[in-house]
Amino acid sequence: MMSWGDALWLGLTARFARVGRLRRAVLMLAAAACTAAAVLYWKQQTDDSANRPLHSMYSGIEPQWSWLCQHDRCERYQASDTTTLQSLQTCNMLCASTQLWPQPTGPVSLASAAVPVRSDRFSLKVIASPSRDVTKHINEAFIVMQNHMRTLEHGVVGENRRSDIGPPRDVLVKVSVNGSGDPRMRLDTNESYKLALRPSGNSLVVDITAHSFCGARHGLETLLQVTWLDPYAGSLLILEAATVVDAPRFPYRGLLLDTARNFFPVSELLRTIDAMAANKLNTFHWHVSDSQSFPWKLDSAPQLAQHGAYGPGAVYTSDDVRTIVKYARIRGIRVLMEIDTPAHVGRAFGWGPEAGLGHLAHCIEAEPWSSYCGEPPCGQLNPRNPHIYDLLEHVYREIIQLTEVDDIFHLGGDEVSEQCWAKHFNDTDPMDLWMEFTRQAMHVLERANGGKAPELTLLWSSRLTRSPYLERLDPKRFGVQVWGASQWPESRAVLDAGFRSVISHVDAWYLDCGFGSWRDSSDGHCGPYRSWQQVYEHRPWATETPESAAWPVEGGAACQWTEQLGPGGLDARVWPRTAALAERLWADRAEGATADVYLRLDTQRARLVARGVRAAPLWPRWCSHNPHACL
Amino acid sequence: MALHGLLALMTTMHLAGVLCNVESTFDEITPQIYEPSWMYKCVPDEGCQRSEHPRPTLSDNSTSAFFDSLDVCRIVCGRFGGIWPKPVTAALSSQTVKIHPNYLRYDLLNVPAETRELLVEMTQVISNNLLAECGGHVTEVVDTQVVVIIVVKTAITSLNWNTDEQYMLDVQTRGGEVSVHIEAETIYGARHGLETFSQLISSDKRDFSDVEHCGLVLVSGAKIRDRPIYKHRGLVLDTSRHFIPMVDIKRTIDGMATTKMNVFHWHATDSHSFPLEASRVPQFTRYGAYSGSEMYTTEEIRELIHYAKVRGIRVVIEIDAPAHSGNGWQWGREYGLGDLAVCVNAYPWRHLCIEPPCGQLNPANPNMYRVLRNLYQDVADLLNSPPLLHMGGDEVYFGCWNSSQEIISYMKDQGYDTTEEGFMKLWGEFHNKALQIWDEEISAKGLDPQPVMLWSSQLTQAQRISQHLDKERYIIEVWEPLNSPLLTQLLRLGYRTVSVPKDIWYLDHGFWGRTVYSNWRRMYAHTLPRDEGVLGGEVAMWTEYCDAQALDTRVWPRAAAVAERLWSDPTSTVYSAEPRLQRLRTRLIARGLRPDAMSPAWCSQHDSKCL
Repeated sequence: MMSWGDALWLGLTARFARVGRLRRAVLMLAAAACTAAAVLYWKQQTDDSANRPLHSMYSGIEPQWSWLCQHDRCERYQASDTTTLQSLQTCNMLCASTQLWPQPTGPVSLASAAVPVRSDRFSLKVIASPSRDVTKHINEAFIVMQNHMRTLEHGVVGENRRSDIGPPRDVLVKVSVNGSGDPRMRLDTNESYKLALRPSGNSLVVDITAHSFCGARHGLETLLQVTWLDPYAGSLLILEAATVVDAPRFPYRGLLLDTARNFFPVSELLRTIDAMAANKLNTFHWHVSDSQSFPWKLDSAPQLAQHGAYGPGAVYTSDDVRTIVKYARIRGIRVLMEIDTPAHVGRAFGWGPEAGLGHLAHCIEAEPWSSYCGEPPCGQLNPRNPHIYDLLEHVYREIIQLTEVDDIFHLGGDEVSEQCWAKHFNDTDPMDLWMEFTRQAMHVLERANGGKAPELTLLWSSRLTRSPYLERLDPKRFGVQVWGASQWPESRAVLDAGFRSVISHVDAWYLDCGFGSWRDSSDGHCGPYRSWQQVYEHRPWATETPESAAWPVEGGAACQWTEQLGPGGLDARVWPRTAALAERLWADRAEGATADVYLRLDTQRARLVARGVRAAPLWPRWCSHNPHACL
Repeated sequence: MALHGLLALMTTMHLAGVLCNVESTFDEITPQIYEPSWMYKCVPDEGCQRSEHPRPTLSDNSTSAFFDSLDVCRIVCGRFGGIWPKPVTAALSSQTVKIHPNYLRYDLLNVPAETRELLVEMTQVISNNLLAECGGHVTEVVDTQVVVIIVVKTAITSLNWNTDEQYMLDVQTRGGEVSVHIEAETIYGARHGLETFSQLISSDKRDFSDVEHCGLVLVSGAKIRDRPIYKHRGLVLDTSRHFIPMVDIKRTIDGMATTKMNVFHWHATDSHSFPLEASRVPQFTRYGAYSGSEMYTTEEIRELIHYAKVRGIRVVIEIDAPAHSGNGWQWGREYGLGDLAVCVNAYPWRHLCIEPPCGQLNPANPNMYRVLRNLYQDVADLLNSPPLLHMGGDEVYFGCWNSSQEIISYMKDQGYDTTEEGFMKLWGEFHNKALQIWDEEISAKGLDPQPVMLWSSQLTQAQRISQHLDKERYIIEVWEPLNSPLLTQLLRLGYRTVSVPKDIWYLDHGFWGRTVYSNWRRMYAHTLPRDEGVLGGEVAMWTEYCDAQALDTRVWPRAAAVAERLWSDPTSTVYSAEPRLQRLRTRLIARGLRPDAMSPAWCSQHDSKCL
């Protein structure tokens, strides 16, 4: 602790000299501070303090900290020790780190000064748009951004906006999209964007240029990230100038959520999608159904939910799906619905006999389950019943119609129990049945998709995607979502064979691991917990092998299976770890979880919390206050 | 209908070339209206299982074994129904009776007048919990009179290790009237009886229902005799690594009351922050709180302590010292008091403390004791009588003290070597001076000396503890891992202990470093020695990697597993406890908590099928 004389001197000269434009405008050299200092100095000199009660010596100031950027770090001071009063948020934004998440991949330059703004003083002008649809989407995405700003402003308690920060500036956001007229997130969507923010007279002008709606939306997300609430100023601030050139490293950046092991209300899904958008993820992989439940009530086959849902309050209607899809679309996210087959099905498919369609599935809830499946309850489709393919065609058609995703599809296809089928079909090798089932499913998928196979049809990695069966699959039609441990040879084999792959390695990107076994008899669970650092540092494509240069890695997805997770715990389980994945897939920086990553992710976590997402903290709050001291 | 829906949808589609060839095969088979086709069946020794069997007719004798609602099935299925923690003995009817809170009356005539006010508050909590079963609104009104007659024998309202918590609960239904008798020595026993009574009640809503209709049903007959095995059933909550807002603390207290835990061990301060307002020393929060809104005012603390008392819970405030003290103590020089703490926020930290930020009280500075006395006075003012203080006492780093010239010369003056043993003496001296101050302050309030709690540490090692810490005065909270002999050694030496094995009952483990997460099964399976000296145990929620956002799911339902271990210490298996814990989970949700899921919902609908 320095003496008061030192503090005063520093405050008057060294620190004040470093104060930027904003700080000079916003932050005062308060006469009050001088007075307090003088009084305290006097108190220090008088030595009767030993007998006086402590509270009478107290100067009565609310606990308050001020952060100053020194040597590229935000250092915390007692507000009364400094001549400037600056919030942590503002210090972070104006100090060395970009504070952007995910880190842009192109050149970035950011001003070190900020100006006040207000959500309702932002306006949009669409300068160029290839289609009406894109224009409409830009307008909606702009409103989403503005609403997020408004939410931040609600954090200002009462009327404590400081008058001395000056009037809020008008911000004109000019968006130009030159490229695809299709607003959907597609495999070939160019997500790059450029953002240029600059003062113009008394207002600010933002130029966002992109080749697709999704790219433009990412630009708006970045614009949102250079806007923050300063709790001391009681106002939103924005960087005075910024230029960002940005594009993702991988086209597929996903999060899987399983809504079958436990049901999640639509509101939880929407919040998750919004948090994904904040991190520029682009694929919500919705593992809708499994053997435990089938919560989606299809229009064409309502029986599935009628028999398979946990209850009438645990059902997603077509309207729900449309709501989710639309919500995601405006946020640059495709909804990839997966109805896992032929395994991972259950009672939802149990009504065949009573409907005169024969057994649509076998081994439904068979016991002992360990003989017929990986976890209770069991169930596997009957590949010999032609009705199952009719039914799947309905399911696939409805998925494509509702999600409007027709270039990529997920067939499921993991963990088939050979024993289950062997019990019912002793004349055929279960692997042949599986292969045949997959072909048939592909065939009805084509029909459901207007006679055309989707560009990329994903299967989970399994015995079917290993030699000698892998050779029987066509890499032009199928892709593989690889979930085995990263050391397993299967990832490499699949990639070497030219299958487009989405990486979801269980030892890095399975968010459900580390919570012990939820049943008595088996420890079939994975562990330990994958920390955000592990999630971040996993780069399986960064190997020395010569083949790896040609590996068709589409990207990756974090997987949140929900055997041990219900609605209340979703956010803290998924975030901020999935944000770590988002940067890995967007920027793929060679570095691991360095100091700068901690700083930026901590800020991003705070953004998520401000958006209403219950993200878990990275470290003690003191470390957010003193970021460099905990590294 | 579905066909039209699809065609209408098609017109809005962007997909070119998709031909919608809807066959009607699947549409014709079952109607569109969702009709759940199952009930829950109570299977002896297994639990409640979703059953597709046709609905039994009313004349069927087996009607009682089938239920529309899973929660209702659970309150009557199995010997202990839906009660958590498991009572010592229980005989429950398999019949239920519909009730409504409007016709619930408490008879407090046989309760000492001094306790009545508190008991009224206790009954209000229970009534609110019953409403919460139906989301605050019980739509099905029945006029069955329910009279809860409470008998409390003593007028004691203080809460400590001698508090008699046993109770008897009888429920009888006769001629459309329900009489409930609760008899206990103290109001705290009566409160537990009320809690158990509330656990005989459930909403008749189906799980995953989409209707608003909700009624309450009560087990129509019950005879329960119950008392805890361990006196100290606690939960540690750290509010220093992260500030936990009062509303979240209160919700945690609600969960504790639901599971009959009785000690809220409030790890209020640490080196990271000092959120606890001390009226005599406002500097603590001014220099130690994360912000003006991230602190607990005296008013709020008082209110919390009362809130807990109404729920049968004693609040133990921990002022961790001499280590784990930093922010909040760094203003001494500025106020002419010298260094109250040393190595505060020192960097690099690795040799000075267990984790940043560092900070340790300065035992060479008499002013430190003066400030500590003021703080203890404030704590003594806040706590209910008899006050229980936790003095912390863990993880002292000698490297920190050794880095201060002032402390080294003080040690020379005292004749302590700057060896490990010398520092031990200094450390022991600190605790004994602190205890003396505490004794003086509570004696000034006319109270007898009270035992204080202390974490286990190097100072409490078996070969050393007796030289420094009086076994009559210190209760040692042992947090060493399971394989440590310390707990047994301390018991042999005659110390009273509270056990918190860190590798099994720490709720923060599994999210950092090499720690391993204990799920509820593992936490439940751990047992404590049955020894006079074991007062009980605690679960600990350290908050380096947890704040209010993640709090509930980290704590619940795992803390409940420990609560049952401490209340009834059952010999039965984890597996047989699961259906009751599933019921507890839905109860916690109804009461506004967000407990984690323990298994796929399918497993909770099919007890014993997910082994």
